[in-house]
Amino acid sequence: MVSEQKDDLQNLLNNITISIQNSKSSSELENIRVNSLGKKGSITLYLRNLKDYDIEIKKEIGAYLNDIKSQIKKLILDKKNFFKTEYLKEKINSEKIDISLTPYEAEIGTLHPLSRTIEELCAIFADMGFSIVDGPDIESDYYNFTALNIPEEHPARQEHDTFYLQPDSSGRRKVLRTHTSPVQIRTMEKIDLKNFEEIRYIIPGRTYRSDHDATHSPMFHQCEGLVLGKNINMGHLKGCLIEFCRTYFNEDNLPVRFRPSYFPFTEPSAEVDIGCKKENDGSLVIGEGEDWLEILGSGMVHPRVLQGVGIDPSKYQGFAFGMGLERLTMLKYGIPDLRPFYDSDLRWLKHYGFIPVDNPSLHSGLNGVFS
Amino acid sequence: MKFTWKWLLDHLETDKNISEILETLPKLGLEVASVVNLAEDLKSFISVEIIDVKKHPNADKLNVCMVFDGENTFNVVCGAPNVELGMKSVFASIGTFIPGLNLKLKKGKIRGEESFGMLCSEKELNLSENHSGIIELESSAELGLSISDIMDLNDPIIEIEITPNRGDCLGVRGIARDLAAAGLGNLRDLDIIFNDGEFDSIINWKIDLDKDEKYLCPKVFGRSFVNLKNDESPLWLKNRLTAVDQRPISSIVDITNYIMIDIGRPLHAYDIDKIKGTFLKISKSKKGDKFSALNGNTYELDDNMLVISDEESVDDLAGIMGGERTGVTKNTTKMFLEAAIFDQVSIANTGRKLNLNSDARYRFERGLDYTSPEMVMHYASAMINKICGGKSSKIVNFKIEQKNRIIKFDPNIINQLTGVKIENELSKSILEKLGFKIVCVENIWDITPPSWRPDIDGIADIVEEIIRINGYDKIPSIKLSRSNYIAKPAMSIKHRQTFFASRILANRGYNEVITFSFLNKEMADQFNGGGLALNLVNPISSEMTDMRPSIIPNLLSAVQKNVNLGAQDLSFFETGPIFKGDSPNEQISTITGIRYGDRIKKDWQKEAVTFDFYDIKLDVIKVLDTIGVPKNSLKIFQEAPEYFHPGRSAVFKIGQNIIANLGEVHPEIGDAFGLNKSAIAFEIFYENIPLPKRNKISRPMLKTSNLQPVTREFAFLINDEIESDRICQIAKSINKDLITDVKILDIYKGEKIPQEFKSIAIKVTIQPIQETLTDAALEEISADIINAIEKKLSGSLREI
Repeated sequence: MVSEQKDDLQNLLNNITISIQNSKSSSELENIRVNSLGKKGSITLYLRNLKDYDIEIKKEIGAYLNDIKSQIKKLILDKKNFFKTEYLKEKINSEKIDISLTPYEAEIGTLHPLSRTIEELCAIFADMGFSIVDGPDIESDYYNFTALNIPEEHPARQEHDTFYLQPDSSGRRKVLRTHTSPVQIRTMEKIDLKNFEEIRYIIPGRTYRSDHDATHSPMFHQCEGLVLGKNINMGHLKGCLIEFCRTYFNEDNLPVRFRPSYFPFTEPSAEVDIGCKKENDGSLVIGEGEDWLEILGSGMVHPRVLQGVGIDPSKYQGFAFGMGLERLTMLKYGIPDLRPFYDSDLRWLKHYGFIPVDNPSLHSGLNGVFS
Repeated sequence: MKFTWKWLLDHLETDKNISEILETLPKLGLEVASVVNLAEDLKSFISVEIIDVKKHPNADKLNVCMVFDGENTFNVVCGAPNVELGMKSVFASIGTFIPGLNLKLKKGKIRGEESFGMLCSEKELNLSENHSGIIELESSAELGLSISDIMDLNDPIIEIEITPNRGDCLGVRGIARDLAAAGLGNLRDLDIIFNDGEFDSIINWKIDLDKDEKYLCPKVFGRSFVNLKNDESPLWLKNRLTAVDQRPISSIVDITNYIMIDIGRPLHAYDIDKIKGTFLKISKSKKGDKFSALNGNTYELDDNMLVISDEESVDDLAGIMGGERTGVTKNTTKMFLEAAIFDQVSIANTGRKLNLNSDARYRFERGLDYTSPEMVMHYASAMINKICGGKSSKIVNFKIEQKNRIIKFDPNIINQLTGVKIENELSKSILEKLGFKIVCVENIWDITPPSWRPDIDGIADIVEEIIRINGYDKIPSIKLSRSNYIAKPAMSIKHRQTFFASRILANRGYNEVITFSFLNKEMADQFNGGGLALNLVNPISSEMTDMRPSIIPNLLSAVQKNVNLGAQDLSFFETGPIFKGDSPNEQISTITGIRYGDRIKKDWQKEAVTFDFYDIKLDVIKVLDTIGVPKNSLKIFQEAPEYFHPGRSAVFKIGQNIIANLGEVHPEIGDAFGLNKSAIAFEIFYENIPLPKRNKISRPMLKTSNLQPVTREFAFLINDEIESDRICQIAKSINKDLITDVKILDIYKGEKIPQEFKSIAIKVTIQPIQETLTDAALEEISADIINAIEKKLSGSLREI
């Protein structure tokens, strides 16, 4: 009796196993599950019929039946997993994309090389305790010349190629500043002498001269520097500018030469040259070499300039310097021509410009590595 | 200032070679601009004798010559009119570079006759402009020698840049003096033969200046010369003048020019026969006086220009240029020589007004040696008598004695000002070699600067003289350390604002440009500028006449340029000044930007989207956000300047202050720049942004809620005229604590709703703070929103 039923069950299991193996989809599999293990499924029904039997038979067949049930469950689960894996495989296969394509997106913009240079200067001079100040582009004759010890008839005035604005009703005409030096006067005028120890300023800005050719632009940029205190001497001028030149050009041993020169608003005055080598193709390599290249003017603030702003030159002394920013930029970054600086040619801007995330600083570097 | 090596050696006794001298000059402040040796160019030009001359068979004006260099003979075709048998001249063989023609000589046939070289003129050798014939050498000249040796041209020409304070170095002697002081040799004594003259001067001075105007001509000397022969100058003199770019003219003129270069002392020579009367009068001009200068131009003079005239008229602009009428010519036999001191300021003013430059003016303006007029009378006489023969008269003069300048000098100042320690003895010896006189009174020096250094007028000048000769390389280099400071930012708030704004804009695709601060009048007017106070008197071109009232026109022209170069999508910005007036507070710093073309380009994924007002609005908001604009204080109005499209532009304000203008550039202006798409621009006036009151570094405590936010969506029907954002503002105002965000999801206009209405769908985010909101509470908020919008905007809720 028992063995007969066991055979029956074995046959049932075999049939179900075959149908599971042959099933083609998870819905077919679900049908098999319902037909075998569901409420009205063959196995469930069989189990239900057991109630009419003896307890001994019930026990034996029941155990057998439970074993078959779990076998079927496992078979179904395995087949289900198989379908899942197959489905995923197929899905993934069908989801393949063409990685060679790149969508179009407007490019990130650039910062102008001159802005870059100004920021590099700020980083270098900030480290020496300088801060930045500004002054107006339209100046009176007094600030641009007279206060800087350049009286009306001074030959140096003629070298300035000054732009003049229309005279006012009293005949006075303003000028476009020919250098950033007038801001020296404006900053010194603001000094409160009662509490004055020292100032250190740099003044980058636009300057103007009525000259327009391959090497001159009617508008260009300068950076002025001013240090004034009780014990500032020409040795500090030298130390400060040597440090600047070497840091800016990133050359530990860059030769820096100080040469006597003349500016009406400094005395003694010095022109500063850096070492360079002229290559056969006419290009310049900054560093050790046979040649010298003039890059900035400097000197001790002229006593008469100090007196003019009410500072006693026997108590305070200091130095000033000025440099052309286009030239510094061209030298450092190998830009051959001046004129494109103001031409807004996108091709030039993209080529010589800098990416906005590259902030020049002493810790991240001043040399535009990735730009 | 140009001079030659041998000229320098006339004044400097030295065993140093030229490279040592050239190395020292810049250290003294005399920057070497160039060194050229003509002999280098002339090496292959040799002396030859013309041993045969035949007419060219096919050309009337040409000759076929046979020349002999001492070894070989050459056939040369020559067109010079002065070719003569037996004449010695200069020959260049085939392959020689001819500097005056800038070409290399090739073998050639000239009208059928072979020519194996060339007989040369001075012009072809770049020696002068003379091209009237070939060079004629002395008959004694040796054959086959380099022409630079025969003509004494092997003399390097040195050009140095002289700063405006060093008038004394506008003469070779001044340069030699500096070199001697630097220890590179000794200054030779000037070879002056004193000669008091044999007769009374034919011409006399008359000073027609008021007593208080005598300073205009504190000193003038003169003397007459007779029986002169004013021929061509000797070769050595011509060579020297040519080397320093002075054109040889005639002996007298050449001598005055020579002395000007030699000792920096300008002179002027009058032809006595052409002077009307016996006086030369020094006076001030009257407006309308006319003067025909030696340069061939006629000048109309103003009042108060210092002039020299005879009985007839003005014929010399003192210190600047002589007149044509009384100038010397080759026929001059009687000459009056002038050497004066004129006021530097007066000369500078006159020269500038007349725009008349000359070597004399250049030197007068920079200051002359006050003692030079008397000395030069003798120095020049000797040279004139030697070259032109004749006799010189007694000297006539007028002079005011100059006060001695004495500067009190404490030698300790040298170290104090420069950080260099120099022994007092060394400092003294440097000054003395430069011609300074020193009297020591205790520890203070009474210093008298030399007469040729009018620029020295203070302690700092004397310090410079000492450290200049001692060497700037001896100044110590002292590190300028930050000792008294903690590290502080170099940038002010304003600089940081542009620093940050630039980066945000570049990250959003803008390229930074820098454009000129000026533009043309038409654009200035169009952008509300163009005032007289901002108009340049001397613009460099008609495109750059006015200071810009806005950067937008500059950016439009940047767009135009790039469009013309084929670019399509452009975004530019500039941080820089604009000008509302000529005083410092009318210069306004702005951040200005422009966009043109497509924001999104069509590709396989996306359709193209053009830049519009909203892109720029976002740009402006992002920038303002970064540079410290308090979000809630910003208000937007539709009242931008008229250079914007009136319906597509706006102004951001804080209170009454305009923070930014933005919008589509007015189509008419876009047209003027030839743009066929709309340009969208903004200008941010960041100086109007109120600075944070306190510079607080620490931040307020962050408060967050862990409760889920709830969202509710509504759609309202409102009048189309109403600004859509008002719905958001009203909704938000219902409960500022709980409603954290209101977004517009959709705006619909069309068939499904009445005309003149729009439907706006919004999504309101409500963030419970302490406890979850009950349905009733949420309902209440929703009802409040609906009520408020119905009441304030006459809107009605629409079923979604």
